[in-house]
Amino acid sequence: MSTYTPGQPVTAVVQRIEIHKLRQGDNLILGFSIGGGIDQDPGQNPFSGDKTDKGIYVTRITPGGPAHEAGLRMGDKIMQVNGWDMTMVTHDQARKTLTKKNEDTVRLLVTRKSLEDAVKNSMGSYPRQ
Amino acid sequence: MFCRNQTARATVARGSALEMEIRRGKFRKSVFLDTSQDSDIQKKIDHEIRMRDGACKLLAACSQKDQALEAAKSLQTCSTRIMAYMSELQRMKEAQVMQKVTRRSSDAGPMDDRLPCKGKVAISDLRIPLMWKDTEYFKNKGELHRCAVFCLLQLGGEIFDTDMVIVDRTLTDICFDNTIVFSEASPGFELRVELYSCCSEDDYSAGSTPRKLASKLSSSLGRSAGKKLRAAMEPGPCSPVSNGGASPLLLPVPSVPGPKYHLLAHTTLSLSHIQDSFRTHDLTISGNEECSYWLPLYGSMCCRLAAQPHCMTQQMMSGCLKVKQLGGDTQSWAEVYAVLKGTSLFCYHRQEDVEANIEPAFTIAINKETRIRASEKDPQSKVQNICVSNQYGGEEVTHTLTTDSREDTHRWMEAFWQHFYDMSQWKQCCDDLMKIELPSPRKPAPVTPKQGSLYHEMVIESSDDLSSTVSDILARRMQELELRSQLGTSPTWMSVFDESNPKSAGRPRPCTSRLSGHSPCTPPRLPRSPLSPHRCPQLGLLSSDASLTSDSDSHCSTSPCSQRHGWPEPSSNFSLLSSSPSRLRPRTLSLDAKLSTLRGRGYGGGGTFQCPCQPPPSSLLAPLPISSRSPLSQRSTQTTLSCSSSTSSNSSSNSEGSHSPESSEGAPFSRPSPARRSLRNLRARLDPRNWLQSQV
Repeated sequence: MSTYTPGQPVTAVVQRIEIHKLRQGDNLILGFSIGGGIDQDPGQNPFSGDKTDKGIYVTRITPGGPAHEAGLRMGDKIMQVNGWDMTMVTHDQARKTLTKKNEDTVRLLVTRKSLEDAVKNSMGSYPRQ
Repeated sequence: MFCRNQTARATVARGSALEMEIRRGKFRKSVFLDTSQDSDIQKKIDHEIRMRDGACKLLAACSQKDQALEAAKSLQTCSTRIMAYMSELQRMKEAQVMQKVTRRSSDAGPMDDRLPCKGKVAISDLRIPLMWKDTEYFKNKGELHRCAVFCLLQLGGEIFDTDMVIVDRTLTDICFDNTIVFSEASPGFELRVELYSCCSEDDYSAGSTPRKLASKLSSSLGRSAGKKLRAAMEPGPCSPVSNGGASPLLLPVPSVPGPKYHLLAHTTLSLSHIQDSFRTHDLTISGNEECSYWLPLYGSMCCRLAAQPHCMTQQMMSGCLKVKQLGGDTQSWAEVYAVLKGTSLFCYHRQEDVEANIEPAFTIAINKETRIRASEKDPQSKVQNICVSNQYGGEEVTHTLTTDSREDTHRWMEAFWQHFYDMSQWKQCCDDLMKIELPSPRKPAPVTPKQGSLYHEMVIESSDDLSSTVSDILARRMQELELRSQLGTSPTWMSVFDESNPKSAGRPRPCTSRLSGHSPCTPPRLPRSPLSPHRCPQLGLLSSDASLTSDSDSHCSTSPCSQRHGWPEPSSNFSLLSSSPSRLRPRTLSLDAKLSTLRGRGYGGGGTFQCPCQPPPSSLLAPLPISSRSPLSQRSTQTTLSCSSSTSSNSSSNSEGSHSPESSEGAPFSRPSPARRSLRNLRARLDPRNWLQSQV
């Protein structure tokens, strides 16, 4: 998660996570909470390394829930949901994209510091743009 | 030589006999023409020509813009379909001619080419992102540059169009919700996706204006408007071949006035692009910024391309087999009815089980890892056995099958080879069955209900209507004001306080808040309470302070007690009070906040019990900060102050933490009224100091 220049493509080491929504009565739930968005104050995000990062972060995972089982962890930054970009969206847009009623699985691309570090350590010099 | 899936333009020579016949809709019934196939296509061509004529008529007749756009879209689709059918017809004729030629010249070689099975290919959730420049926003302040776009999807002989979408600079992506399914596609298919767009300005209706007038108009109009008008009217250098190029070859496309679509971008998808999830593909963009139908495309397209080859969905082979029982007695064979479908050979006890959807007795996997071979002839029977080997985990498991006759064995082997061939041709589509959702009839978008479940701690409310919330609060306040004016005990109170506490008038808020903190329940003790502050104003303050800090729902019940208990311990609190005049000022806000929260609780939660208590506090408050003149007006200002202070207190208390949970979750107050809560929610949500979190 590096500082980016607007308009330039963002590079990140991502992990694919596929979450199958759990049906509870009339609702489909994923079992986690998100924070952030371009309409939120990025300085209050406890999970972001860069305090100007307005991305969508996972702030809470319900233990045993679908997201937890799929491998999502607290502090992950969500880059894409089902192909939709999450790096430049409002909080409400992100919530709506995740909670579409006609989809019962969501495929996320998430990134976290540990992933980047792992790649860095394994590859020596990590090529950065 | 002749590629089956190539959709080339038909190059029928102008004025040729073939062209004339196609025009007339008849063709030679000669010996070497396969009439049934041709007549099918001819029927389709006729149908499309009729559709096209209808679209032209509609275009000429309609007055509304969107009708015209839709009609133009159908026109474009029909023309493309006609083109495709023509070229197919052409190809078939040429193939037949060539066949006849080759048949005459040389003997037909063994037609041993195995053909892969066909399949269904579905494309859905098309999304094309746009990349608007910021100059777009600043340049065109008044007018909104709009384009109507739709996609044309072509695979083999099937052409489908998506619904039309109007795009302007408020959209970030062009989304087509349609799911398009092509039924007969071979693995080497090429799915051509074309994006057509048409400028949709209201002022200009294209075409019929003569050129001289058009140029006069464009020069007299403003520069950008004139440029747009000119561009809208001529097909110009922007549009590639489109209809203009094709017409000299085949049936002339009638030129109709009205909107005309131009090709904006295209791409071709094939087997390698198929995946069970969304993928991004590159678009080739034609046209440039000068064209009227230009849209700033990002250059890629996102979609879901899935395929269901028939070998995965249909029964490729079925029949009776005998399967050797593994282990134990080597000579026992089980008679099963076997069905080859997808990646398995399902073995049922009886044939009827298949229709009855009963679970098969067992299943043998037939996938890319499977090895099938014919073993040597069994000494008992004259028939070869078929050995199917799979790797389950680390071990190799072999099933031995046999049939009754040699022909059956041969047919089964043939089926297996065909199946393997299909799987090798369809590649990743045969790993698992991909889901293709058939387009369902349109349903209205469902309203998102409130989410509530075990994982949710607090109900997330659907969109709050701010105006109704505010009007609720105002209505309630009006009721309270009326009640206060009815009670009328206020003047007595006020006078008492005016005389007894001259110095408290000098004191700012904290005194008033403390006083009123314990006053809500003093009406029953009306005779006593004016006396107590009169007698010992400090102590009265102390007791109320104690009641305030308790901050519980039952503050009313505790305050009389604390009023009593507060007497024995004046000293400690007294010193506190006297020593903290300087501290009072920073604590002002929180005390005020506490006051208003208590009163807020009083407003909403208590109901009738609390209601009669309300009048006195405001009446007490009224004279103290400012000399009392019109109690009613004072009361109203006080109450409005309290409302705003309650919400600002909420936000201030929230922002004290580094990140607060969602305001509805972390409410420090127990059970405020719904209207107040929703208003608070909304304010909290809108307050930029909060960092919102949502449960999904």
